[in-house]
Amino acid sequence: MEKKWIHSPRLDTITMVEVTAKKYSRKLSKTELWKKLPKKMMYQTFSTIIDHLTEAKKIRLNEQGKVEWILIKEGQKETSEEKTAGIPAGKETETIKKELNKEILQEKTTELNDSEKNTVFELSEIERKALKVLGKERKELSVQELSEKAGIELDSARRSIQWLNEKRLGKARIQKEVFVVLGEEGLKALKTGLPEKKFLGGLGNTWKKISEIKAIPKQEINIALGNAKKKGLIELKKEQELEIKITGKGKEFLEKKSEEELMLEKINEKEVNENSFDAKEKEVLKFLGFRKNFLKHKEKGNEFIQITKKGLSGIPLLETQKERKYNLMDPVEEVFPGKKQPYFKFVDEIKQKLVSLGFKEMENPLIVQEFYNFDVLFQPQNHPARTWTDTYKLKKPEYGKLPDKKIVEAVKQAHENGGKAESKGWKYNWNEKIASQLMPSAHGTAHSARQLVKGVEVPGKYFTIARCFRPDVVDATHLIEFNQMEGFVAGENFTFRKLLGLLKEFAVEIAGAEKVKFLPDYYPFTEPSCQLNALHPKLGWVEFGGAGIFRAEITENLGIKEKCLAWGLGMDRLAMFKLGLNDVRELFSQNLDWLRKGI
Amino acid sequence: MPTIESSKKDLEELIGKKFSKEELEEALLGVKGELDGIEEDALKIDVKETNRPDLWSTEGIARELRAYIGKEKGIPKYKVFKGKRKAFIDKKLEGIRPKGAYAEVRNVNVTEEVLLQIIQLQEKICQSFGKKREQVAIGVFDLDKVKGNVRYFAATPSLEFVPLGFSENMSLREILIKHPKGKEYGQLIEKFEKFPLLVDENKEVLSMPPVINSEGSGKITTKTKNLFVDVTGFNQELVDVALKIMCMALADRKGKIYSVELNYGNKKIISPQFRKEKIVFPFKEVNDLLGTEFNAKEVITLMEKKRMQGSIKGKNLTAEFGDYRKDIIHPWDVIEEIAIAFDYNKLEPEALNVFTLGSVREETNKTKETRELCVGFGLQEIASNHLSSKEIQRKKMNLNEDFVEIANPVSLNWEIFRKNLLPESLDFLSKNKNTSFPQKIFEVGRTIELNERKETGVEEKWKLCICVSHSKTNFNEVKSILEAVARERKTGFKLKEERIAFFEEGKSALIQFNSGKKGFIGEVNEKVLGNFGLETKVSVIEIET
Repeated sequence: MEKKWIHSPRLDTITMVEVTAKKYSRKLSKTELWKKLPKKMMYQTFSTIIDHLTEAKKIRLNEQGKVEWILIKEGQKETSEEKTAGIPAGKETETIKKELNKEILQEKTTELNDSEKNTVFELSEIERKALKVLGKERKELSVQELSEKAGIELDSARRSIQWLNEKRLGKARIQKEVFVVLGEEGLKALKTGLPEKKFLGGLGNTWKKISEIKAIPKQEINIALGNAKKKGLIELKKEQELEIKITGKGKEFLEKKSEEELMLEKINEKEVNENSFDAKEKEVLKFLGFRKNFLKHKEKGNEFIQITKKGLSGIPLLETQKERKYNLMDPVEEVFPGKKQPYFKFVDEIKQKLVSLGFKEMENPLIVQEFYNFDVLFQPQNHPARTWTDTYKLKKPEYGKLPDKKIVEAVKQAHENGGKAESKGWKYNWNEKIASQLMPSAHGTAHSARQLVKGVEVPGKYFTIARCFRPDVVDATHLIEFNQMEGFVAGENFTFRKLLGLLKEFAVEIAGAEKVKFLPDYYPFTEPSCQLNALHPKLGWVEFGGAGIFRAEITENLGIKEKCLAWGLGMDRLAMFKLGLNDVRELFSQNLDWLRKGI
Repeated sequence: MPTIESSKKDLEELIGKKFSKEELEEALLGVKGELDGIEEDALKIDVKETNRPDLWSTEGIARELRAYIGKEKGIPKYKVFKGKRKAFIDKKLEGIRPKGAYAEVRNVNVTEEVLLQIIQLQEKICQSFGKKREQVAIGVFDLDKVKGNVRYFAATPSLEFVPLGFSENMSLREILIKHPKGKEYGQLIEKFEKFPLLVDENKEVLSMPPVINSEGSGKITTKTKNLFVDVTGFNQELVDVALKIMCMALADRKGKIYSVELNYGNKKIISPQFRKEKIVFPFKEVNDLLGTEFNAKEVITLMEKKRMQGSIKGKNLTAEFGDYRKDIIHPWDVIEEIAIAFDYNKLEPEALNVFTLGSVREETNKTKETRELCVGFGLQEIASNHLSSKEIQRKKMNLNEDFVEIANPVSLNWEIFRKNLLPESLDFLSKNKNTSFPQKIFEVGRTIELNERKETGVEEKWKLCICVSHSKTNFNEVKSILEAVARERKTGFKLKEERIAFFEEGKSALIQFNSGKKGFIGEVNEKVLGNFGLETKVSVIEIET
């Protein structure tokens, strides 16, 4: 199963699940429990928490499929358990915190019983690191501080806080913290300067009439004027209207960065914890805060932990115990091998298979001339598939080069009058400019077309796995880019029945299909044309793609006498068929977890 | 590929046979049709032939299937009665919209369903076959409201009539500006000084092709019995085909077709005329192409199932078919019909039995080696798109460069081609911030950059990008990998310290391999990490492979 969640669970949500799980222990299934939660949460997040609690041996799924709370240890009363389970949030913990602090400051330790000693011996590597740091620091640390000081990843630090809290070696809590960010006007001032600076900068060295001031908007002038006058940065006089001149102090002010500006630069585009400012900075912040839309405040919950009496008492055990005593059942760190992306792995296999069947790989550029994508393939220039809505065009670069004049002429004749083939052609004026337009290849057949132009061995078998581009909407069956397994075979006495034989071989050998079915189909470049369908044991009949014999207008005009049996199969469809997926987006999943474990 | 909406009951009545869903699916193969949806009586049929407008209605599908299932055979026959009406077509329409074709169809049983089918057929023909009315536009009128001969001419834009759906007179120019159809199709004529107009003997306007009919005669209801069909365009052959297809469908609804005499100055044409076309080729070609052993009689019977007539003269087969079919331009077009009539699934697939030596391209071998090497380093392979956004490739990367760009993107997310793999790799990491660290990923893929000297104005390069992300990663960690890659490739390399917009200053360099390939190495700087919303350090190598 692919797991998707945007936020990893936070401690308060874990607590909520714990409390509910305990309350309804052995009464509810996992889904029922989810529905019983006092606050709603995403099921995936919930699942993650359940996995975590199972891993931490707090709960288990019993034989009846109900969630059972199992953490009650010998000799412990349920009431005391209840008091310390989970992590309380906010101010309620203030009193506990003080009490603990007192104990720790007095370096009071206590004798640990055997069960508690075992708990210490069985600590995981990250917990040991965290506990040591907590013992050394003797004060409350945030998850970030813990991560940094203990030299463990942030998510490990978070986990160790939770675990140490559960084992009552540490005491954790969540605190809401306020972060300062720049508001819209603050950001503007950061880029273009404070309004009074802009205003002063626009004054020049002479008296200036108030109506001539353009540096700041009219509605801000009065404020700027008032502030500047108060600080002695300007002189004022009134003739017909108010006139202003900058003072020496004003000039000084212009050249030096003010505290407010320095503060803007300090905050910049970051979110800064309010607690990280000293008293003087807080004063500056207050002034900035008076300005409209300069500052914004964001509240975020952060996790903190400090060591408990028990934790402190356990530290000597960590020091003396050189070899950690292993609990064989303990969860260990997950590691992942290097792996190929599943779709590319499938491509590797297909290529190998095709080579063993005697196929040669063709060139398959991403960008092609319309000439190869359409014209060589006898698709008239006014064909609906060539319109703006059906295929991509390039804006830059726009045109490419066409091959040898003789070939261009042969294609032109094919379109206009059938050329050397016994055909009427499309009866219109073929345009070389249109043919030289560039586009991302819209189907793999563009590469077969290039091979036909370059020359074909007889007998010859050709293939490519081509990346194709069409302006489609992305959904469970369509991607913005898709792949085709494309190719053709050329040979004497090749027939439509042999094409059907080849398609059947692909479906059976490559996709592992049991049965195939052929439907009449239409492609501008093949005649006869057919569609290949294959039977999947679970998915039913699946459409694999199209095939046909390249029209005589194409081959004969390029000087190829033999029939070319061509096909283009949906590579993504093939991979889904083989890997048993029903959403094509999974093939190119951006979920690292799924890539590591999912397939 | 047109999708045709039909009533199952109506289709069955027209064919003269009832079908189960499976039987219907089977039968529709005869028109290259696929049942896209069935809801009680309502059918959606995908007809894959883009060159067969005659199949884009219930009548057309039924006509073809009557022969396919053996109820009729050969070319469908339509009688044209001699009509009295004349149509005068003005020479001044040259360059504007010079060709017209007209017919009367009388005594049509216009039910709700027939009305829907007339509209559907008309629209499908105009949209697809008629290139959005540019090549072919069709109007259907209440014949009883059309007085005497009709005149098709280039009219002054100030002339007025009441367009369909409106109640007041509007000038031709106004219609282009105000009427919804005027806005949609006006661009086909607005550049001219005069606009095409069809009027009757009393100068009552029938329509302004290809834009809109008049409210007066252009409104068809279930009370209408006699119809007048008008088709305009640039090519008489196309216009005639469209007219014939409309007449055939109406005649299938018990209508009687009456001719109209077209007058191009002194030149007179009777419209419509149903003729046969033929194509002659050696009989042997049938079996040569299909790999079958059909005899002449079998082939002729199969052709008759596909509305054709066949005859043998010497070694040659003559195939005749109605001249409403413009898709048959080569003998193989006929042979495909024979194969469909026989049923593809009755043709025994035959093994190729040809032995050739297979091989992959050099780049396939090389990229596979590189990827296997990376897997050996313990890296996870990822796959990203070749199309990307300016946001990711340029803005977030702190770059200002030119890219190969799509002219008609469907989304700003896929507007340009990637030039480097790194931006998409960082985007990948940003989607996996909650997955456990260290994260070590790689991608081998193609990138595209502008290069005028190349045949397509672009150069496509295979590249390898490795990203290592955890809190203590640094330049040296990826440099170790780089050295190992070079060692395996048996090539040396030089590093040149360089400021790179997305890397930490003093912790980035350009890579120059002795083999000529290039690349870059470094630690992603905080600004770029921030742009991608990444919180953990990332070190990178990206090299041409």
